[in-house]
Amino acid sequence: MNCQQFQEVLPYTIESGGSAEEEEHLRTCPACAALVEDLRYIATQAKLLLPMHDPSPRVWTGIEQALRHQGLTQEGRLSLMGQTAVLPAQIRSWTPVGWVMAGAALMAFSALLIMYRPQLPQASSSAQNMSAQPAPLPADDQQLLRGVSQRAPDVSGAYEDSLREVNVYINDAEQAVAKDPQDAAAREQLLEAYQQKEMLYQMATARSLP
Amino acid sequence: MKPYAFVAGVGVISVLALGTVQAVAADTRKELRLDIAPGGTVNVVSSSGSVTVHGGAGHQVVAIYTTHSSKVEVDQSATPDKGRVELRTHALGDQPLTGDEAKVEYEITVPAGASVTVSTATAPITVEGLTGDVMLESDKGQIVVRNVARAHVHVRGVAAPVSLADIVNGHVEVTSSGGAVQMVNVSGSKVSVGTASGNITYRGDCSGGGSYAFTTHSGAIDVTLPETASVDLTARSVNGAVQNDFPLEAKAHPSFVPKSGSSFAGTSNSGLSSVELQSFSGRIRVKKQ
Repeated sequence: MNCQQFQEVLPYTIESGGSAEEEEHLRTCPACAALVEDLRYIATQAKLLLPMHDPSPRVWTGIEQALRHQGLTQEGRLSLMGQTAVLPAQIRSWTPVGWVMAGAALMAFSALLIMYRPQLPQASSSAQNMSAQPAPLPADDQQLLRGVSQRAPDVSGAYEDSLREVNVYINDAEQAVAKDPQDAAAREQLLEAYQQKEMLYQMATARSLP
Repeated sequence: MKPYAFVAGVGVISVLALGTVQAVAADTRKELRLDIAPGGTVNVVSSSGSVTVHGGAGHQVVAIYTTHSSKVEVDQSATPDKGRVELRTHALGDQPLTGDEAKVEYEITVPAGASVTVSTATAPITVEGLTGDVMLESDKGQIVVRNVARAHVHVRGVAAPVSLADIVNGHVEVTSSGGAVQMVNVSGSKVSVGTASGNITYRGDCSGGGSYAFTTHSGAIDVTLPETASVDLTARSVNGAVQNDFPLEAKAHPSFVPKSGSSFAGTSNSGLSSVELQSFSGRIRVKKQ
């Protein structure tokens, strides 16, 4: 499963939990994992916008008695507070404003799920979508694979997969070095990626020989 | 019993018996004994089947191999000084072989101190109990190395799973594109593993004051250390998550500024061995054994 396929089923994944395949993708793709985490956070926060229950009239009565006992309130104001406890509008457990806020939050959340398109890092995106639409291999790689296919067809698939993986590796490492030429770790990654490709060429060439 | 049923039964039994006889006849098991100079090299090249190499005594290489087709043979050769002995599976004729026809199973015993080089396409390679250098490569066949001491262990694989166990005082270098690499009790002056997408798993104490470097593009790195491990450890991932469950003391002068979730660094005990874990998008996890 690639990122595009995952994000197509994302609303259902958020709502009802993902399948094993979706969970596997989630474990291996930091970009999608971050997206799901963001959406779950939004969902949690949206719940806080739901209307709250008004306190029971007994609460108001208790406060009134306590304040009166301490001499902090006057009779007139207390009667007002006491009256609010018996107003018909306050007996309802949900306020109209709360309903409006809840509806707005749900609409905003739904729109976000539908419209959201994360800006994945290019390298990650290319790696994740590699299986969906493989990019053509460079001419040198194709020539190498032809040689392997002729002499050792049962391993040519392994070489093709590995060449694709290593090309993505080189591309990612080159971008990291271009972004920060002083990054020693990125330079080591680039060196490692080239060593991987060198190994593949050496082994494939040996496999292609008669 | 009806006559045609009897005839059919006899026919079936005859065909099965003939097939069995042919199959047995096609399986050829041979034993070779080849002299080798002290510290010499044994080179094995085969496509499919299996290659197993054990350490032994004496001054000879003992090779027992089984072929399953008359279309293949095993060539043997040795240099005049007996410094290098070679066994090579060779196809007879230009006809392409089926997978079963190309199979050859090797069981090889080499003297102590002899170096071993094995190259296969799909055949699994197993090497154990050697004290000489080991260089193994396979496209897809599993590579297993056990009980090797004071030796260079170089492994290369395309999609070959690699398993290393009980390698002491080694100089280990593994390059694997898609195959996972598992290590248990592997130590030495240098232990270097690089993969493109294969996972890397290490369980051991990284002892010996050596340099341990595990690098991957998209594979996961899992390192499990005992509390007694003396390591100077750094872990960095460009896009992957990094998690540490091992007690480390922060370094006074780290070579980079650790970033929560994507890198960390620290030492345990006296920090004798250097351990560097790097990934591009694979997750890295270090935990206590």
